[in-house]
Amino acid sequence: MNSDALRADSVRKIYHGRSGPDIEALSGVSLRIARGERIALLGRNGAGKTTFLRIASTLLAPTSGAVEIFGRDALADPESVRPYLAVVPQEGKPFMHLTPREQAYTYLRARGFSRETAKSRADHALDQMGLAEVADRLSITLSGGQRQRTMVATVISTEAPLMFLDEPTIGMDPFARREVWESFRELTVKGSTILLTTHYLDEAEALSQRLYIIDRGRVLAEGTADELKHRVGGTLRVSIVSGDGIAQQLSTFGPLVRDGDIVHVITGPHGLQEILSIAAHANLTATVGPVTLEEAFLHVVGRSIHDES
Amino acid sequence: MTSLNAALPAVARSRWRGLGALIGTELRVQLHELTSIATSFIVQAVFLVFVGVLAREYLSYTLVGAVVFSTFQIGQRVQNEAAWIRIDHKLHELYHASPMTPEAYFLGMSVGVLTAYSAPIVLLFGVADYLVALAAPVALLLVAVLVAEFVFTASVGYMISTWFKNMRSIWPYSTLFFNFFGVLPPVFYPLFLFPKALQPVALLLPTAGGTALVEHADGILPLPTDWVILAAMSLLVGASLAFVGAVYWARRISRER
Ligand SMILES: Nc1ncnc2c1ncn2[C@@H]1O[C@H](COP(=O)(O)OP(=O)(O)O)[C@@H](O)[C@H]1O
Ligand SMILES: [Mg+2]
Repeated sequence: MNSDALRADSVRKIYHGRSGPDIEALSGVSLRIARGERIALLGRNGAGKTTFLRIASTLLAPTSGAVEIFGRDALADPESVRPYLAVVPQEGKPFMHLTPREQAYTYLRARGFSRETAKSRADHALDQMGLAEVADRLSITLSGGQRQRTMVATVISTEAPLMFLDEPTIGMDPFARREVWESFRELTVKGSTILLTTHYLDEAEALSQRLYIIDRGRVLAEGTADELKHRVGGTLRVSIVSGDGIAQQLSTFGPLVRDGDIVHVITGPHGLQEILSIAAHANLTATVGPVTLEEAFLHVVGRSIHDES
Repeated sequence: MTSLNAALPAVARSRWRGLGALIGTELRVQLHELTSIATSFIVQAVFLVFVGVLAREYLSYTLVGAVVFSTFQIGQRVQNEAAWIRIDHKLHELYHASPMTPEAYFLGMSVGVLTAYSAPIVLLFGVADYLVALAAPVALLLVAVLVAEFVFTASVGYMISTWFKNMRSIWPYSTLFFNFFGVLPPVFYPLFLFPKALQPVALLLPTAGGTALVEHADGILPLPTDWVILAAMSLLVGASLAFVGAVYWARRISRER
């Protein structure tokens, strides 16, 4: 019983438009997640994250490819793997006329947990999500972020062996996001496997042990956040606004990564002084910092994750 | 780290696991819609008043029809509820990616809605019994008809609910079904007022057929035996097929294409 938690092979998905053209949302995505791993799919809006998550969680049929969950064929026999799954859908909402406590409790009961287990798990998950104070108010009176936390609490309270969370922290304040991250870490320590999607770079970095950068339906890179940063080609980033005019000169110091009209020079400590003086000569402002996942993303995808188009 | 390599917990699988819990959930949710429950028999009440004023002699027919039609309407609510939970809440994904089977999800939601909205039926049933004095076998037949009626509408409603991508596009269909199954055919008025040639056709509808069966058993609507068989078979076969269809469809649609 050492099979991976999830294995996807060349998963393709074409949405057949009823009135518009067909859309190829996934063009052969393969990935492998071992048991107990916390993995993030990082990508811009429309990259195909939700499509992949729904296929992997047996809720959407792929056009072609293979999906195995705990060594079982999830496409041929979804029913056999579903008991091990739990899903936070993108933009889901709890029942408006249940309290968060009722929401989590009734869901656990529907999954077959005993009253005692359901009660203690629901209470624990609500505490973890910082919902203790509003746990007995109807969801209709809660804020968007609190509702989202209710969804996450409901699903993590299952402690299911494999959990899929689609943009779990959307609409949450930074403090709540940290609580969510902490609870995910706890879950994987207990043995659950977590696959989440996000378009927050900090979330992907803080939370995942490995991440997959996905764009236009393809996996463009895979690795730990550190590995991806190293692959950019340096440890420091010098960012120069409107630096196009001196790009030629800058490129001798290391790879350039563009983000709109900002030119990032990826380099090491050695060239720093010289780059700064080149920028100063051209009357341009330069800022220096460590290479972040942002540059790694730009390097791999060619566009910023914030770039809407 | 031993837990990572441990065998997966065995999950006892059963087709109807979680059914009771979902019925309870849905009931709890629906009971917050008291206004909606309280107003759910306004149409029936209005028809009763109209008939009571305009044609008192037909009031018994209208009463039976109102009970049957109320059940039909609850099936329609299942359609809207299933669509709402799927389109607006996406909660169906939580239930589908779980030990619960898609058919338990469908049935749990249906029975939950039925339970919450059954008050009008019980009330009308009481009134009908008081005014028309239903004999025990007739009352039993009425219950059986209501069950078949509900199974039919809730099943068809659940299947229909999955075809829509937004709520707005569902509303016109509710109006359509409402009129096609409830207002036009002989449900609130006796079958013999319906065009003669179309009477057997009306009996094929679960609403009109079910109503006619109960009225026939109660002795207020004489029907030829083959028409009785036609209405009974149509209701029975219709409900069975619809239920089997809904179970099949619930399983199939639990993974979208
Ligand atoms: N039901 C659908 N029908 C047609 N196209 C869709 C559907 N769902 C998603 N798409 C398209 O597939 C692509 C990937 O979408 P999605 O998986 O939602 O991306 P992400 O979750 O990364 O934002 C997008 O171009 C989107 O417009
Ligand atoms: Mg998405």
